[in-house]
Amino acid sequence: MTQETRTIESTWDLTAYQFKIEADALNLFIKGTKDKKILGRKCHQCGTVYVPGPTYCRKCLIDIDQVVEVSQEGVLDAFTVNLADVRGIPVENPFITCTVKLDGSDSFLMGTLEGWTEWHSVREGMRVKVVWKDTTSGALADLSHFQLI
Amino acid sequence: MEKVALVGYKQTKHTFESPVARERIIYELVKSLYKDMGITKDDIDTFILASNDFTDGRTISEVFTVPRIGAYMKDETKVEADGLNAALYAYMRILSGLYNTALVIGFSMSGSEFRVPLTQAYTMDPAYERPRALINYYSAAALQAGAYMKKYRFTEEDLAALTVKNLENANNNPYSARKEPDASVDKVLGSKLLYTPIRQAHVSAYADGACAVVLSSKKMARKFTDKPVWIDGVGHLMDTYYIGDRDLLKMDSLAGAAKKAYKMAGIKNPRKEIDLAELHTNFASEEPVFTEAMGLFKPGSAKDVVKNGESRIGGSIPVNPSGGPLGANPVNATGLIRLAEASAQLRKEAGKNQIKGAKTAVVHAQDGPGAQSNTVFVIRR
Repeated sequence: MTQETRTIESTWDLTAYQFKIEADALNLFIKGTKDKKILGRKCHQCGTVYVPGPTYCRKCLIDIDQVVEVSQEGVLDAFTVNLADVRGIPVENPFITCTVKLDGSDSFLMGTLEGWTEWHSVREGMRVKVVWKDTTSGALADLSHFQLI
Repeated sequence: MEKVALVGYKQTKHTFESPVARERIIYELVKSLYKDMGITKDDIDTFILASNDFTDGRTISEVFTVPRIGAYMKDETKVEADGLNAALYAYMRILSGLYNTALVIGFSMSGSEFRVPLTQAYTMDPAYERPRALINYYSAAALQAGAYMKKYRFTEEDLAALTVKNLENANNNPYSARKEPDASVDKVLGSKLLYTPIRQAHVSAYADGACAVVLSSKKMARKFTDKPVWIDGVGHLMDTYYIGDRDLLKMDSLAGAAKKAYKMAGIKNPRKEIDLAELHTNFASEEPVFTEAMGLFKPGSAKDVVKNGESRIGGSIPVNPSGGPLGANPVNATGLIRLAEASAQLRKEAGKNQIKGAKTAVVHAQDGPGAQSNTVFVIRR
């Protein structure tokens, strides 16, 4: 008896799938970004503000449809300095990805952080603001980055 | 041993293409079930979802769906198999004594979001079956159907008549996706031949839809309903995955699962004691093979069963009075729907398809090519 192995060539045709996704939360969010606004939905029962805002509250299990605009300033919640790419190869220009809690929102938005020169000096809890692309088109990429204030 | 009851059930009206996404389907269904039962998500101790990352097309797929059934900050898990296996899991969790109530849900977008035969083909054995693409779920069922028909002289006409029986029941079921008011033997015989002897008309109705049930411990059951349906016997057996190692006609895993469930429920003569059967048949041709493996009819008797209408509503053991998966087969929910439909019969809530005086039912679900894995429940009112 041996413990040989073999490698078998195999492929998947991913066109086997097509997805129908719920569009309400995304549509509202990018409708806002087109006008350089951050929009979400607030639960009328428990008061939670979701950004992006789905049409139901996961805590109360009820339909919600109260659209709210939240502040474009907030707090740097957490961050990491990207020193390597997904394959582990060091990147030439390290950059920071972060989560930000905008004032008035219970959700955290993700983005990149700018306005720093030495990453050792960046601290959680710093105040940040949204920076938009010059031209917005109604896309997630309208939100260029967060800037340290 | 503690007993477990089904205390609530609900299914969607199944469709070939849902106008809303899966998250909305299950959210609406579960909320409406809670409302019917006069309960909230806080009455549920554990949430068990039947789904399959492969048929869902994304990994750890329940992360997107469990919040929609009320499981946020709750105990939840997923069964990568038919919903009846999720119900089996819920049943065991309740028996553990750690939980009194469980919500079980199965759902699928198999009508519109993925091509069932193609995704199933990718699940075949990668060493022997996939490289040569000799066999898939359809052709596995065709091998079985051909062998049965040859051995027991079950003709194309007999199979067409059995198909029509199911389609007629499906026509009277408000939840069916497939409605063929003009179903006839001639029409079935004229439908496209896919893998001999299987024609398009024999294939179940892959659909978008969902089904949810609430199970409860005995001590809590009366709090939820005055019509509990008791799960008196369960059996779950799997055969070898590789089709070359199985006798497709004997269906040992199904026969064994049924035997276990009958023994647990104290059933000695299923032909006398079972009032109806709801079976997870992906193809009409599976019905004779399954019912005989389960001891509901004599081996090889399908010709007479069809001729004498024994499996019709009003016959000795109606089989799939709901129309079965030929009316709607939302993959992963299908076996759970069998439990809901059989419970509806025992609770006298089956509408036009109601069987008079039904007290004991047998419910079945399958997974894998050629029904490789089988689950059987015996339920009573």
